[in-house]
Amino acid sequence: MSPLHFSFYSAFTFSSLGLAFHRTHLISALLCLESMMLSMFIPLSMWSIENQTPSFTLVPILMLAFSACEAATGLAMLVASTRTYGSDHLHNLNLLQC
Amino acid sequence: MNPHAKLISTMSLIMGTSITMSSNHWILAWTGLEVNTLAIIPLISKSHHPRAIEAAIKYFLTQSTASALILFSSLTNAWSTGQWDITQLNNPTSCLLLTMAIAIKLGLVPFHFWFPEVLQGSSMTTALLLSTLMKLPPITLLFMSSQSLNPALLTTLAISSALVGGWMGLNQTQTRKILAFSSISHLGWMIAIIIYDPHLTILTFALYSLMTTTMFLSLTQIKVLKLSTMLISWTKTPMLNATMMLALLSLAGLPPLTGFMPKWLIIQELTKQGMTPTATTITLLSLLGLFFYLRLAYHSTIMLPPNSSNHMKLWRTNKASNTPTAILSTLSISLLPMTPLITTMF
Repeated sequence: MSPLHFSFYSAFTFSSLGLAFHRTHLISALLCLESMMLSMFIPLSMWSIENQTPSFTLVPILMLAFSACEAATGLAMLVASTRTYGSDHLHNLNLLQC
Repeated sequence: MNPHAKLISTMSLIMGTSITMSSNHWILAWTGLEVNTLAIIPLISKSHHPRAIEAAIKYFLTQSTASALILFSSLTNAWSTGQWDITQLNNPTSCLLLTMAIAIKLGLVPFHFWFPEVLQGSSMTTALLLSTLMKLPPITLLFMSSQSLNPALLTTLAISSALVGGWMGLNQTQTRKILAFSSISHLGWMIAIIIYDPHLTILTFALYSLMTTTMFLSLTQIKVLKLSTMLISWTKTPMLNATMMLALLSLAGLPPLTGFMPKWLIIQELTKQGMTPTATTITLLSLLGLFFYLRLAYHSTIMLPPNSSNHMKLWRTNKASNTPTAILSTLSISLLPMTPLITTMF
């Protein structure tokens, strides 16, 4: 694997580990989700340059648009959780346990 | 909920599912999955109850992670093979990541923890959508890329899903959670056969959706959210309790009801492929599910006349007839004799 691909791979892996090991706040999970999307945006942008396919230029923009929608939904969930639970602490989300 | 918002959400759900199911390129498949996630969040959280918000947060986090993992697996496959075709997923790392991501999306063990909680926090109709429609795009992706996936991993996921779905459903009294665990164990059956005969996975999924829709619609009609309400629900529509018993036994997979058909065909195909221990294990594990289905069926029918009871049937009923429930419950009870026809259709 080339060093460049390895750097994108490890960026994504560390972001997903950050998402998996988040502890207190919901917003740190949303931040890690956004950094996962960012670490995939740069390789997608490089794909159309490396492979000389201008038709692929739309794809990083499409990806960015959908990840922005997702971030907006995540923030709306943050606001909803603050309105109903009082904070975004994740240990408050225990009403639905088996 | 505002009718315009409901319309936009529902149309977006249909559009997202169609986009994923009709795509050959990974980016388009990912787009459809994202649209589905975004569209169902308002439907889950529309009642603004704390439980609904918690369910929506859990659903959003798990599904977004899974979508990002799917995109990343297709990206690593594109780095090593140079193409984005869904059926040509050849890089082993990509296959592993994709299997894990689809397992998170579907709620397979060991990524099943969100599913009962999200079903419990949403309304009955939304729970129905979450169990049937939202499982369709990931199953489609797995179907299209099934020839390059790791058989041992899929068999492990399948057997553990059947185990956990049966075992954890034993201690539940809330009907939505019971149906969630039944869904997990049915998904285990679907994943067990996807390597050997992907069309049986589609058939199992179609019949599972039919039977689950029947159950959800019946439970919605008599507004039964927990087991204790089921005991006194016969006063509303006694016939529905009787058909619900048969629908539950069909979900459990008892012959001569419809639910036996997928199990029969899967066991036959697994045995033909030499996977007899897998077939035996997964069949024995579905006995655990039989226990809680029987318990639900018992609660549904034990108070029916001519047993001695202290209630008469309610003579003011507000719903005259419910055609979809009637049609679907008839199908989910009596479709087994048409097995040869249905096998040719898939």
